[in-house]
Amino acid sequence: MNAIEIRNLTKHFGAKQAVNGLTMTVPQGAIYGFIGENGSGKSTTEKLICGLIPKSGGEIKLWGKDHRDQEVRSQIGVLIEAPGCFPNYTVWNNMKLQAANLGLKNENAEIRRVLRLVRMDGAASNKYKNCSLGMKQRIGIAFALLGNPQLLVLDEPINGLDADGMRIMREILTDLSHCGTTVLISSHILGELEKIATHYGIIRGGKMLREMTAEELNADCPTYVALKTDDTEKARAILERAFGRADIDEQTGEIRVYHASAEDTAKYLFGNFGIAVSEIRTAKISLEEYYIDLMKEGKE
Amino acid sequence: METTKTLQFEKPSFFQRLKGMLGVDFYRLFHTPLFYIFIVIAALIPALVSMGAMGEGETAGMFSNAWQIIAADSPLYIVHNMGEYANMNMVFIFGGIMVSIFIGHDYRSGYVKQLFTTHAKKEDYMMSKTLVSAFSMVCMCFTYLIGGMIAGAATGLPFSINAGSLLCAILGKMIMSLGWASLYTFINIIFRRKFGISIALCFVLGTGIPVIGAAALLGNTAALNIFLYGSSVYACLSANFLSVLVCLACSVIWAIIYNVLGSVILYRRDVY
Repeated sequence: MNAIEIRNLTKHFGAKQAVNGLTMTVPQGAIYGFIGENGSGKSTTEKLICGLIPKSGGEIKLWGKDHRDQEVRSQIGVLIEAPGCFPNYTVWNNMKLQAANLGLKNENAEIRRVLRLVRMDGAASNKYKNCSLGMKQRIGIAFALLGNPQLLVLDEPINGLDADGMRIMREILTDLSHCGTTVLISSHILGELEKIATHYGIIRGGKMLREMTAEELNADCPTYVALKTDDTEKARAILERAFGRADIDEQTGEIRVYHASAEDTAKYLFGNFGIAVSEIRTAKISLEEYYIDLMKEGKE
Repeated sequence: METTKTLQFEKPSFFQRLKGMLGVDFYRLFHTPLFYIFIVIAALIPALVSMGAMGEGETAGMFSNAWQIIAADSPLYIVHNMGEYANMNMVFIFGGIMVSIFIGHDYRSGYVKQLFTTHAKKEDYMMSKTLVSAFSMVCMCFTYLIGGMIAGAATGLPFSINAGSLLCAILGKMIMSLGWASLYTFINIIFRRKFGISIALCFVLGTGIPVIGAAALLGNTAALNIFLYGSSVYACLSANFLSVLVCLACSVIWAIIYNVLGSVILYRRDVY
């Protein structure tokens, strides 16, 4: 069963078309990485799913039911932008209010459970306004986890988290996914997303550009040979003529050669031109690189 | 960590939803200094009004009976002097400001965003805010009453009155809190985070200026009782059981109208 099914979703704010005929499918139990540039319609789509804004057209189904249906609404945990907390109340009291709105039984035990999950149990008595950005983000995640929802909608949940916070987040989401909880997560930190996502949706201009599983993405991401030589520019030009495509990674100074093996590349350079290779390895392009390439293709 | 979950959907009843929301709103009300500040303000208003009555200016001698601080002698929509105007109706002016700040915080903090991602319905929100706001205004009416009695005693005005009429007047005004609360909630739903505008508009409507203006054109007609300010004036020291019924009908009907309109707006507009 699919947790989320969206068909021809549209949303306009006056003359601006924020979501433009979006179609999207999120299977139950998936961690769905929702990727797109700023202003591509990610947050708007998430707000539409959560019922925070009314749609202009199309259909949103959660587990086959209308997304506004109360039965399904009680199964969604949400973090969009910052958590909606009263600044002068303690973390605990803010969570008590949300627990009351959710109609939770054993609310104290449930609050303790989620605060422990996000490693915030020691900060329950802190006033919300005194919490750091990272702490607020963790509180937001704890809010979303209250009541053990079947679907989590998280908009940029990793922002503001330190390395340990990101690791905890990964563990929580992976565990939840193993238990059948579906996670829709949007983030610009693609390296982190790549570690946990089982499905991806890439959105641009309010339309779904590509939707795929992690396996499909893996198959779609080309391997390349990364090498270092003394004369980078000369070697790049030679390899481009020989193998069709060779780029220089500006960050590492490596030459990347596609559609060739490490052995062939090294032999070709040294055997024909006497250029020695100091380092060589084979790698796959990352989600971030794949995404950047995809965006470039679209713009061209 | 946990065992695999099976999908179980529960549909919370209207009472379960409202209970949760009312619990949150009452908790917030009792834990905000704002509520207590306005309760004290409501108690101080009659003291300030009676001080004016004791002075030597235009307002001197505007009361001949202590209970006139609570309500006017007769339902006069056209105001001739401050004495006919300065009574318990002033609670509704300050009540509007309080409600605007109270609901404005829901939007500023992002609480509504958190709330409406749960099973909460928009009409539950309207109802809960209306009931809690009405309760706070009833509390303000009580403290105004106590403040008025102390002020009346301090000024040495006579307390002679028909107890039944006085009771009907006080009851009528308290009942009107529901209608006023629904109006103020509705205004805040329209302006949401711009609660400065809500405060200004609630203040203008709370003063009854539109009804007073209409009365200046139409005369002192009972037809003005269809409005919140009209019925609030109708609950006067010559009130009877019928006056209470008129207040009840006016308050409940407007509360329903504003709750329905507010819910429609919440459904059609972006929450956050």
